[in-house]
Formats: sequence, structure tokens, C-alpha cells
Amino acid sequence: MDSPGLLRLRGVVKRFGNFTALKGIDLDIAEGEFFTIVGPSGSGKSTMIRLLVGMDEVTEGEIWLRDKRIDQTPANLRPTCMVFQSLALFPHMTVGQNIEFPMKIRKEAPAKRRARAEELLDLLRLPRRYYDKRISQCSGGERQRVALARALAFDPEILFFDEPLSALDYRLRKTLEKELKDLHTRTGKTFVYITHSLEEAMVMSDRIAIMKDGQFEQIAVADQIYSAPVSRFVAEFMGEVNLFPLRAGADGRIESPTLSVRPGVALSDLAPGHDGLLMVRPEYLRLADSGGSFDFTLSGVVHGEYALGSRIQYEIKTENGMVTVEKLREERLSAAEGQKVTLGFNAANTHFIGEAA
Amino acid sequence: MSTSRSTRIVLYVYGVIVIAFLYLPLVSVGFASVSQARYLSFPIKRYSTKWYGEAMASSTVSELLTTSLSVAVLVTVISVVVAFFGALAFARYHWRFRTTFQKLILLPIFFPQTVLGLALLMWFNSLGIIPTWKTAVVAHLVWIAPIATLIVAIRAYSFDPALEEAARDMGANTVTILREITLPLLMPGLVSAGLFAFLLSWGNFPLSLFTTGADSTLPEWLYAKMVSGYSPLVPTLGVMSVVGSFVLILAAFAVAWLVRVNRDARVAQD
Amino acid sequence: MNRLDGKLGFLSALPLALVLLLSFLAPLVVVALFSIMPPKVFSLANMPDFSAYSLFFSQGYYKSLLWSLGMALCATVILVVLCWPLAYAMAKVFGRFSLILTVAVVMSLFVSENIRLFGWVLTLMKGGLIEGHLRSWTGVGFEGPLYSVPIIIFGLVYVYLPFMLFPLAQGISMVPDDTRQAAYDLGASRWQVLWQIEVPLAAPGIVVGSLLSFVLAAGALAESKILGGQAVIAIADDVETAFTFGQNWPLGSALSMILIVIIGGLALFGVSKVDLDAIMGRKR
Repeated sequence: MDSPGLLRLRGVVKRFGNFTALKGIDLDIAEGEFFTIVGPSGSGKSTMIRLLVGMDEVTEGEIWLRDKRIDQTPANLRPTCMVFQSLALFPHMTVGQNIEFPMKIRKEAPAKRRARAEELLDLLRLPRRYYDKRISQCSGGERQRVALARALAFDPEILFFDEPLSALDYRLRKTLEKELKDLHTRTGKTFVYITHSLEEAMVMSDRIAIMKDGQFEQIAVADQIYSAPVSRFVAEFMGEVNLFPLRAGADGRIESPTLSVRPGVALSDLAPGHDGLLMVRPEYLRLADSGGSFDFTLSGVVHGEYALGSRIQYEIKTENGMVTVEKLREERLSAAEGQKVTLGFNAANTHFIGEAA
Repeated sequence: MSTSRSTRIVLYVYGVIVIAFLYLPLVSVGFASVSQARYLSFPIKRYSTKWYGEAMASSTVSELLTTSLSVAVLVTVISVVVAFFGALAFARYHWRFRTTFQKLILLPIFFPQTVLGLALLMWFNSLGIIPTWKTAVVAHLVWIAPIATLIVAIRAYSFDPALEEAARDMGANTVTILREITLPLLMPGLVSAGLFAFLLSWGNFPLSLFTTGADSTLPEWLYAKMVSGYSPLVPTLGVMSVVGSFVLILAAFAVAWLVRVNRDARVAQD
Repeated sequence: MNRLDGKLGFLSALPLALVLLLSFLAPLVVVALFSIMPPKVFSLANMPDFSAYSLFFSQGYYKSLLWSLGMALCATVILVVLCWPLAYAMAKVFGRFSLILTVAVVMSLFVSENIRLFGWVLTLMKGGLIEGHLRSWTGVGFEGPLYSVPIIIFGLVYVYLPFMLFPLAQGISMVPDDTRQAAYDLGASRWQVLWQIEVPLAAPGIVVGSLLSFVLAAGALAESKILGGQAVIAIADDVETAFTFGQNWPLGSALSMILIVIIGGLALFGVSKVDLDAIMGRKR
């Protein structure tokens, strides 16, 4: 990530009337990176990709591609290409005509176009006889591959993806996620991908950016976003989480209205006199009744048990609300519903968020 | 809820009755056109095609047909071109006055055509233009171009705007996009709009009434004969006009069918 | 809305906007100007005196207007009732037959309305298709129903049926099937479903269909002329007479203006109430 950014955004602002969709974005994307922007709907991620592709104009700020400023360049003159959510395959053209379209626009010779189209069919593992097929005869997965082939046809500097997998069923999506990751490795291209699905982002990306209200909350590798979110929003966006308010007294002693804290426990990020939230993922909570010593403990009553496939989720009702616990199926808790339990976890498995409760 | 069988049957019968209701007057006109008597009365005693012979031979009739045809062809060509762009402004592009434009287009369709014809007559008069069949083309356009636009707009709504964005993203400029993507995708809409434009112009009389000047279209002449002196040629020309329209529609359906069969055959070869 | 879309939208609207500006809005302005001219002038270079509008009351033209509006209203109400079951069937019951019905109705539109009305004259007149055959079979004849107010309303219903049928069918097709099923499931009767669910949800179609039929019927001319003889005079007939026989353009213009204001008001009200994008099936 230390190489100079291929794509650089500086202070990018986009306003629609009184509404500010993007509030001053700075971003560097490295060459060859698989970069994913995740956010809930309305977070500004779609606006962002439309600006990057050139289908909308920035209100303020600059977009640079290598050493050229491109924010005023119209979409058809930018050396980038997007795979649309709807794929936008031309229904009145065959698979081959679709793939050749960008080359036809660039007035390349028919023979050369044909050769390139076949090369791309091979790359995407589509049979060459698909060249003459109509789009309406292709399955969902095949259309996805045709759209990818078409986007790669003129060798763009960057490939943008606007949630292209969101309309597909679960199994096909899983297969295509892996294929996309594999395609990224084989082509060495820079991929910029937007999605609202965290799972998709985690499987494929080198880096993930979490977007909220027109700003980035956090940009980091997947693991770090999961285990060390910078805010409550990111923590909750990245799956099930338990958050406990904490406070450090003037003497450095940690106090919590909900947790019993073992004397002497310290958190490096929590300075004396400050407060914040302690995050612990459900899989790090243990039953404390059976012994063992924990930095933090709390007690409650088993409220519900839900099977999540390979894992089982428990809801424990405490005085201050529900706490979520997850166990692998083989480690299932022996406590029955309504039974009182004491839970514990250690400081090493927590992450402190310096944000008021 | 699925509609009960008896209700379905009643509804089908009702549908057939409505169709019969719509076409019954044409049946009468059809019979009248082959009655030999100069003054019509049912039941028809002797059938004859002599009025068709007279109509074919009449120079008035061929003038009427030429005028009607010239107006309809010109209206069709202009309407299709205007409707192609109009539909894009109506349905496709997001621009500032889009909703105003949409409503402006609807107004002439809601407007009483006789009044519109008279308004145009006064307008041409104040411009110093003497009405001929060419001014009737303008009059027809006021009503038909918006209808053609709506027909093309329905088609424009049905395709994903991302197709055009994708083409632009891959390097196509506006002209290329219009030619390679938009035009082929809108083609079925343009063909139906052209068909509608021709037929509506061919059959229209309230707009022609005041705007053709000394020229006369077929529906205008028929109207004049109906409200003043009856001519035995009225049913005959009426039938000829209707048959002309229906032949055109059948031809259009036949062409559409052939195109589809041809395409399916090509696909089947794969 | 980005800059390119804004520019392309404006440019592509231009041809149609020009057509309508030069041959729709400009003539309306001329009508408005002529309506305030003194009687029987053929040029706008006169002092306006508004005298034509006073004739509307003193010469009894308001009666024609009331007749036209009244007959249009009758025709519209009859059309809603007649078309509802058929529109419902087209949207929800008929499969392929819907298409056949649509083609049949649209094709009838392509036949000049005066030919179709003339066909009714031939069908209904004494010695026409119905009376003539009846008399020759049974020996009993009857006076034809022509040249009366009901037959004019019949003509209006006949001519404007498609303008009610299609918007209504479109409106009904916008009623989701599951809302109807849910209402039945919750214990509603057939009538309750009609009044509580279908009519409110199909309202845009009902509004468009009714407005279209009413407005066109109110400005209609041929029905009263061809079918009605001179039983009553429609306002459009008065307008035509003022222009042709009366050679009084300002009077014709004033009568037109009154009609235009009523119709235009209704039309503007109607089009402002409907979301065209939704009715015509916009994606995204």
C-alpha cells in the first residue's frame, strides 16, 4: 500500500441541491489493488462510483489518475470501465458484439476485435461458440462473465464494480466472488468494488473502506476492520458485537456500570478521566461459572438460543440489555433457557472505542 | 383469488359484445356500399359493386386520396423524428423542465380538436399564410406528434438507462450511443408510433376541417356529404378508407412476425 | 441530474417543444386576442371591447355549453360503469384475449369517427340495418331512435370508449394482486374489496380516463351533428357556426375561450395529479 496511488481523490465533494452526498473525500488506491467500498444504502457509495466513472461531476475537489487530473473528463474519454449492477448488456447484440463494442468504438479492425473477444471468452472460461449467442439465451452466471469480458476488452486502467452480484442467488454469488478474486489475481488489474454486503467485501478485498453519511469511517484491511473498528458504527456494521460503556477514574481504575472488572486490569487506549465503549465479539465470551479467571465478568439469564448453521447464538438478558454470545456447535453451552449464567472475557480479546456511549 | 369459471365466461362474452358494438356500424357501412340503390334502405334488395367502379373512375376520389395520403405520409415522417427525440426528453434524460415538458405534451391530446383547428386557422390568417393541405400537416402534428411521443416514451421507459451509460463508459460519444444503442432499442416503439401517426392522420377530420383551405381530405369530404347532400359514394369511400387502414395494419403485423421468425431461425442454428 | 443529461434533455425536447409552441400555444394566444375584439372583424388591429363575451349570455350560448357539459358528464358516468368490468378483465382475467381486445379497440380508433357515426345512422335509422330487417321479418316497424339527446350521449359513449377503457385497465393493473387477496383474507366482501381496495388504488387510471372522456366529449361536434340532427346544439357546433356561417371570429373565439378555460382547467388539474413516470412504467 506504500506505492504511490494510481487513483487519488483530494477533497471530493458532491452536492445535490441542499443535500451533500459526499463530504470531502480523500483517498489513494494503489495499482493492482482490490479495493472495496462498503456502506449502507444512502451512505454515498453509489454517488462515489458515479463520480469515479464520470457519470456525474464533482462539485468540489480533484480526481487524479496517475499524473492526469480526470474529474472534468467525460466518461467516454476516461480509461476506466464499470461493471453495472444490472450488467447493462446490450439486448440487441450477441455476446460477441457486446464484447467487441468498446473496440468497435475505438475503430479497431474486425479481425483484431474477433481475436481479442475469443481471448476474453477463454479468460472468462466461456466456450468460444458463445460468440454468436444472444444475451437472452445466457444464464445469470454467464451474463456476469460476458459483462466482465466486455469491461476488460479495451484494457482499462481500473475496473469499477457497482454491486454486480447483488441480484444473484446465494450459491452463484459465492462462486462468482471467488472467480472475481481469481480474475483479479490473473489480470493484475486494479479493481474498485462497491457493495453493501460485508461478507462479499471480506472474501475478495485487499482493503475495505467503510462509508457513512458521505464520509469514510475507516479504511483498512479486512481483519483490522473486524477486530479493531474505529467507531461504534463500524463495529456494528461488521456483524454481531457487544459494546459496554467504560470509564477510567482519575487513578486509572476502570469502572463500568455493567461489568465487574478485575482489579489491576488496564486498557492501553483508555486514558485516566476518559470514557468510551469496550467492544467484544460474541465468540470471545465464555461461561465463567465453570471456573477460570477473567478480566471482565457479567451475569444474566439465558433468554434465547438460535441455530446459525455451524454456530449457535445465545441471547443473554442482563440488567442493562441483551448480550450476544456465539459458540461453535461442538462447544454449545450446557445452560438451558431461563438459567442464570455468568459470562467472562479477557482484555486481550477486546477493542476499545473512544466514543461516548 | 381466482375468478370463478362462470364470471370468466360472462367477462369473455362481454368482451366479445363490446367488440361487436364497436364494429357493428362498420358492418352497416359495408352493406350499404354494395347496395345498388341510390337511396339506401335495408334489407338490401340488389347487391352491386357499381359504386366501387364509379369511385375508382372518379377524379375527385383520386384527388381526395392523394391529399389524404400526402398529409398522412408527411405527418408520419415528421412525427417519428420529433417523437424519437421527444420521448428521450420525456422518459430518459433527467433535465430541469422534464415534468413541465411531460405535461405540456399531454395538453393538446386533451384539447377539443375542432377548437384547435379553428385556432390554427386564425393563427395562419394572422401570419398571412393561406391554408392548403400543407397547413393541415401542421394541424395534425399538434395532436399526433404528442401521441407518437407517448408511444415511443413507453418503449424508452422499458429499457435500462444503464445501457446508455455503459456505452458511454466504454468510450462511445452521444451520437454513437444514439445510433448504436438507443435507436435500435427504440425501433419497435418508433415503428408503432409511425403506424399510429399514419392511421390517425389518415382518419382525422376535425383538425383537417378548417385547416386544409381549398384542398380536401377523404374524411372531410365524407363529413361534408353526410351533413349536407347524401352521396351513394359515402359508404363506398368509407369502406375503402377503412380497408386501406386495415391492410396497412395487417402488413405491419406480418412484417413484425417475419422479423421474429427470421431471428428465431438464426438463433436455432447455434 | 447531471450536466450532460440536462443538456441532452433540453436539446431533444426542442423539436417537439417548437412544434407545440408554434402550432399550439401561439394559436391559443391568437384565440384569446380575437375573443376581445369587436364583432365581425378579421384582424387583430382593432380596439378590444369584450363585446363577444356578453353575447354568451344574451344570445343563449350558455345553453349549448350546459348541454355539452351535461351530455359529456352523462357519457363519462356511463363509460366508467361500462368499462370497469372489461378493464378489470383485461388487466386481471384475460390472457391472450386482452391483446386481441386491445388490437380490436385500437383498430376501431383508426377509422374516421364520422364514418363510424355514419354507420350508426345506417344501423339505427328508419329503414336501417336493424329496423329494416325487423320490419321485413315481422312486418312491425318502429321509428328510429335517431335525432334525440339520448342518441347523442350514446354516440359519445361509443366514440370515447377507448379513452376510458385503456386508462382504466392501466389503473387496475397497478393494483397489486396480493392487496386484494389480503383484503379477502381479512374477511372483506367483494363490494368492500371494490370500494376499499380497488377503486382507491386504481384512482389514477379512473381520473385520467374520466377526464379524457369528459374533456373530449365536451368539445365534441360530430356526434350531435351526425346522430343528433339538430336535437340540441353542442357548444363546439356554435363555435363552428360562428366561424363559418356567422363569419364572426371574435364570437367564435370568445365561445372557444370559455370552453378552453373549462377544459384546460380540468386537464391541468388532471395532469398535475398523476405521476406519468409511474403510470408509464419507469424503471429505477
